Amino acid sequence: MDRYPDGDHFQPVAPPEGAGGFTVAVGGLSVGFEGVPSAVLEACRDHYRPFLSDAAPQVTFRLGPGWEGYLDLPPDGYLRLEERPLGPGRLLVSHTFAARWSGASGELRSASLENFETLKAGIENTLRWVVADLALESEGFVLHASGLVRDGRAYLFFGHSGAGKSTVASLSPDCLLLSDDLVLLLRKKGAWMAATTPFAGTLPQTHKQAGLYPLAALYRLVQAPEDFVRPLSLAEAAGRVLSCCPFVTDPPARQDRLFPLVEACCRAVPVRALHFTKSRTFWALAAPEANP
Amino acid sequence: MTEHPTLRRNPDVSWRTIEGQSVLVFNREGEVQVLNEIGTYVWEHLEEGAEALARNISEKYEVEFGEARRDVAEFLQDLRRSGALLEG
Repeated sequence: MDRYPDGDHFQPVAPPEGAGGFTVAVGGLSVGFEGVPSAVLEACRDHYRPFLSDAAPQVTFRLGPGWEGYLDLPPDGYLRLEERPLGPGRLLVSHTFAARWSGASGELRSASLENFETLKAGIENTLRWVVADLALESEGFVLHASGLVRDGRAYLFFGHSGAGKSTVASLSPDCLLLSDDLVLLLRKKGAWMAATTPFAGTLPQTHKQAGLYPLAALYRLVQAPEDFVRPLSLAEAAGRVLSCCPFVTDPPARQDRLFPLVEACCRAVPVRALHFTKSRTFWALAAPEANP
Repeated sequence: MTEHPTLRRNPDVSWRTIEGQSVLVFNREGEVQVLNEIGTYVWEHLEEGAEALARNISEKYEVEFGEARRDVAEFLQDLRRSGALLEG
């Protein structure tokens, strides 16, 4: 049965002896985690190595022990994430973790602080949640997309689960990978840029380098028996992009800020549908001007 | 013709009109629906009610009132079926 924590669940706790912390920076947006047990601290740092930062984080989460379980696993095994208001802040809750966030601080409770995989699920999803929100404050948004850099410019291939994001990335070994799951877009001095993120889909991402690249184009992935590109009206482009932004469901105030930003991005860069056969030939259509 | 005074936009559908086209995004399903010019007019002026919408469309687009009324009713029914509109 689903269990939702209240504010008392997030009372600060003393960190275990030897605990430490780390800060992750994504496109300049930084989130810190403190109270990480020494047994898993190095594994956490290794996981986020290219994104570790010495800068003071914008938001810091303190870790603490949580319940054995929060939300039930659905029969299909998919991750459930729910967000709702909690006191002066907000609550993010899933199967094995719950996080409360307000302003520059938050609390993260995990079913296990000593098990790296369990703890990572909490840290990773909290990070995604916070970065998505910080991005909005910085004139940006995160998008479910595979991001690839070719000739110094970022091409984003977006779509829902199963659309082919990881396939596109795996077919592009000579490109720099921003992410095969979730890419951060930021408007910097009027120009749209795409940032490398630590958010992984199915590909190993051991060779990532944190960076920010000018956005060349956005392609909506559509699996098809032949390769071709279809232009999208601005309205459809904005709708398709918005539908692939995570945490899009609530709160409505976030949505109100997100849609105009997405529209601005779609006005600034080409957005098209890429019907592709899961072969490398898609690059000739997606970036005909780029070097092979 | 049946009026639709109780139809309202589904709050789980984000929408925006861009270059004369309303685009509806069904947040939970991830589906997207782009409306044409007349569909956009109906969507943006839902509160006027089906009868007034049909009358205005008939005048604005120079179509026979009966035809406009049928089209509006059918379109509202489509929006209700897709979940973009809710009753009550």
